[in-house]
Amino acid sequence: MLTSGVAGYAAIHARARILYSRLLSPQEIIILSEATDYGTLLEFLEDSPYGPYLQSVDEKELTPRRAVFQIKGRLADAYLTVLQLAPTHTQPLLSQYYRHYEVDNLKAVLRGIISGASWSQVLFVLFPLGSESVLPAQEMVETESVAAAVELLRGTPYYDTLSHAMERYTAERSLFPLEVALDLNYWRELWSEVNRLSNQDRARSRRIIGSLLDMNNLIWAIRYRMYHHLSEEEIINYTLPIGYRVRDEDIRAIAAGADIPQVVARLYPDLPDPDVLLQEPRRGLPELEIQLQRHVARQCRAVFVGFPFHIGIPLSFLVLNEMEIQDLTVLIEAKSSHVPDEGYQPYLLTTSASK
Amino acid sequence: MFYPQAMTDLQLIVPARDMLALTKVLAGQGVFHQVDASYLSSEAGSTSPDSWQDRAAEYAVLERRILVIMKSLDVEEGLPSSAEQTSMIEIEVARPKVEHIEQEVNKAGDQLASEQKKLEQIESTLRQIEPLAGIDLDMSALRDPQHIFSMLGTMPVANMDRLQTSLARIPFVFLTLLQDRQRAVVWLAGPQNNSDVLERAARSAYLNPVSLPAGHRGTPSEIIESLHTAIERINNRIAEQQYAVAQLHAAYRQQLQALLWRVRGSRMLVEAVAHFGQLQYTYLIVGWVPTSSMPALTEQLRGVSKEILIEAYPGKRGRSRQNIPVALNNPKLLNPFQELVTTFAQPRYEELDPTLLIALTFPLLFGAMFGDLGHGLLLALLGGVLVSRKIPVLRGLAGLGGLIIACGLVAALFGFLYGSIFGMENLLPALWMRPMDNIMLILLITIGAGVVLLSIGFLIGILNAWMARDWGRLLFDRNGIAGLVLYWSIIGLAAGFFIGGFPVPPLVFLTLAAVSGLIVMLSELLEHWIEGIRPLVGESLPTYAIQVFFELFETMVSFLSNSLSYVRVGAFAVAHVGLSAVFFILAGLVSPVHGIGYWLVIALGTIFIVGFEGLIVGIQSMRLEYYEFFSKFFTGGGTHYKPLTLIPPVEK
Repeated sequence: MLTSGVAGYAAIHARARILYSRLLSPQEIIILSEATDYGTLLEFLEDSPYGPYLQSVDEKELTPRRAVFQIKGRLADAYLTVLQLAPTHTQPLLSQYYRHYEVDNLKAVLRGIISGASWSQVLFVLFPLGSESVLPAQEMVETESVAAAVELLRGTPYYDTLSHAMERYTAERSLFPLEVALDLNYWRELWSEVNRLSNQDRARSRRIIGSLLDMNNLIWAIRYRMYHHLSEEEIINYTLPIGYRVRDEDIRAIAAGADIPQVVARLYPDLPDPDVLLQEPRRGLPELEIQLQRHVARQCRAVFVGFPFHIGIPLSFLVLNEMEIQDLTVLIEAKSSHVPDEGYQPYLLTTSASK
Repeated sequence: MFYPQAMTDLQLIVPARDMLALTKVLAGQGVFHQVDASYLSSEAGSTSPDSWQDRAAEYAVLERRILVIMKSLDVEEGLPSSAEQTSMIEIEVARPKVEHIEQEVNKAGDQLASEQKKLEQIESTLRQIEPLAGIDLDMSALRDPQHIFSMLGTMPVANMDRLQTSLARIPFVFLTLLQDRQRAVVWLAGPQNNSDVLERAARSAYLNPVSLPAGHRGTPSEIIESLHTAIERINNRIAEQQYAVAQLHAAYRQQLQALLWRVRGSRMLVEAVAHFGQLQYTYLIVGWVPTSSMPALTEQLRGVSKEILIEAYPGKRGRSRQNIPVALNNPKLLNPFQELVTTFAQPRYEELDPTLLIALTFPLLFGAMFGDLGHGLLLALLGGVLVSRKIPVLRGLAGLGGLIIACGLVAALFGFLYGSIFGMENLLPALWMRPMDNIMLILLITIGAGVVLLSIGFLIGILNAWMARDWGRLLFDRNGIAGLVLYWSIIGLAAGFFIGGFPVPPLVFLTLAAVSGLIVMLSELLEHWIEGIRPLVGESLPTYAIQVFFELFETMVSFLSNSLSYVRVGAFAVAHVGLSAVFFILAGLVSPVHGIGYWLVIALGTIFIVGFEGLIVGIQSMRLEYYEFFSKFFTGGGTHYKPLTLIPPVEK
């Protein structure tokens, strides 16, 4: 194991560490957040590793949406580098992990169809997957029909899931069942890829992927109960019985009406005052999600200390890079809409205590 | 070779009538890296950039339509002929042709799809009902139960357990009638008074109820028989439609391939034009061309248009906001080393391309750590096998072959210097020294070599700053002149401390270190000062003072750690001998009389050393290059050179 681990992970480890060292530091995020307006923020970003991605577009075309699209290009490049260098046995997991951007793109395309958006409106909302994507996104948008768009997905991993869920879409005319089916299928597939790995790799990826899954599962269950007022059986069917720290009993307890802050406090004892946080769910739930994401980020950073030859290093780097993009997205949107500091700061994942 | 290819900023002003012909020449030469100039367009332009974008979009739509037709007829894309690469087709000419074929193909395709859909539905019904074949019951009895909730349907297999979990608090019956990898036919039943819970659970688990077609009555076996008859009828109709599609394939294959490449070429041409600047009667084309390709390209362009205005400005290797594309300019032999550099980052235009340096220092560091004549030659042999691409499973690693050969040969050379062959220290005389017998000496020498390498790194960094006209970085930066003086002063102090009778008094180094340290500490302020940036200090003075103090501390620690990092070169040279000795001891334990067991352990040991230790040493060499050496001078982040061409790279 040691030999194959070192041999397989030598290149990817070196590369992931280089890429990790190029992530923005908390100090750099603070400097970016001190930008007085959107224009200044872009100037700061042009001097960062995101510069080449922003400079490839004419300044006049750099709307906030376009800027976010451009900076996502860096994550796409990083992912391709990681995938090329990753040992063969880990590639199915990394590919499946990357697919969540494709799932998000698919949802965005379906929403675009429902809202009657044109391709040029949808394009820059998508993650720039390039040739890695199996979605005929433009053709789908141009069909202007969800059913026809789903038919275009024949031969892709999404067709079975969506074609089965289409019966509900036809009856309810809501994208909710399609999106839930996509999410459940994505996480189930990802989890089975995790379980196909052996020993060290499985343990490491269970910790990272499982923590992400915990976060989603918990937020889904709370949201379905508090926002959508779904019944116990619906909440159970729309969540998953798998994860790292959150067990099925916890989800079922929430579905059955247990006190949510108590469940959250038991699962995450380090979380400050979940009962205060969830008093006002509309604001508290996004903040809870941020707290859980920060928890995952801490776990990912911890991976870079200790034995380095395992899937945890590239996987953690990808998760952290994604979180950096999320922070930059928050900053771009906040600065372009003139949101005051206190309005967006709580939603930044990178804080001064992050690294 | 030391710098990326010299590039020339090419600006063309072209009469509108010659624009397309000229674009074909630019694309045909494959040397022109286009820069978007559409924002320079005047409103009086004959065709606005948006309309070119619209035309490109129209071509793209048409291209996709052709691809869809080709897919439905199972026609491969093929390769373009030279005529198809250069002859543009007007959208108004291409569209009717495509529409005509599309109409015929769609007609046949729709009929086929409709029959296939019917077949699918009947087969689906058949699959659901087949498990019930043994039941002697009229199926219509299941349609309207009075006292129980009953639902027969299909659902994803993955949701079955979850559905049962969600119903744990009420009584229910759940039977799986048929199951494949993805879906299952199930029957869910329970008391009618729980029907709301059962219905919600079924719906949220994506259980889609099936209702048997109204026309089918009787027992399951009677329904199955009538479904089989229907399937046979539909299959006959499908065979007729498939024959019609095959006829269309034969009739339109060549025409579709030719259309595809002409439309694709036209789309790429129009996309390029959309990025030109459009003035009233002329077009402005901007881009970069390798300076060496300029004469040939200029001649070609003048051959197309007599009225073309060509302006060429050589790209300056100075600090500029221009994104000059970087085309590295190395002999093919250095490709593996260039890969090592670009894996780290693409060099900037004004920066020295470190490929040659890597080609010299990487094998040297590797060889010094892995010095063994036998193991080195084996490694070179392995590299040769990779380069030859003879073994199919290793073809993916062919790019590494050259690197491994170089490392192996230098390791073999160090084998002579260390007097080591296959770990045996008594067969060859050491031309230089045996690391195991001179441990302290080799460690000191390697630190010394590290100091030399880092100093070279500093000097290149200074040269890069000079080329970039970045005076602040050149004079005050930790990797500039001040940093180099500070580094050498520290080295001088350390040398004076360890070497008795060192000719330069420590006070000289102390003074130099203090002055250069102060400059490095205040580098940001000084850089702002000479660049005219105000305020000189961004934050409050106390914060600034604390920050610069710790930055200086970190700089000095990094100087120390960067230099000491090279001690690993000596340590690995010693470890290599030690590791080989371990295998000799193990082999002696297995077979003291040097029988087959002895040689088996030695063979396994050699494989282990060449494979495992070779890999570790490779990683260490990479680390020394990336973290210690590159950090002194290499910024990276250059723009890739992507010349305009009508043939996508894959097809090329």
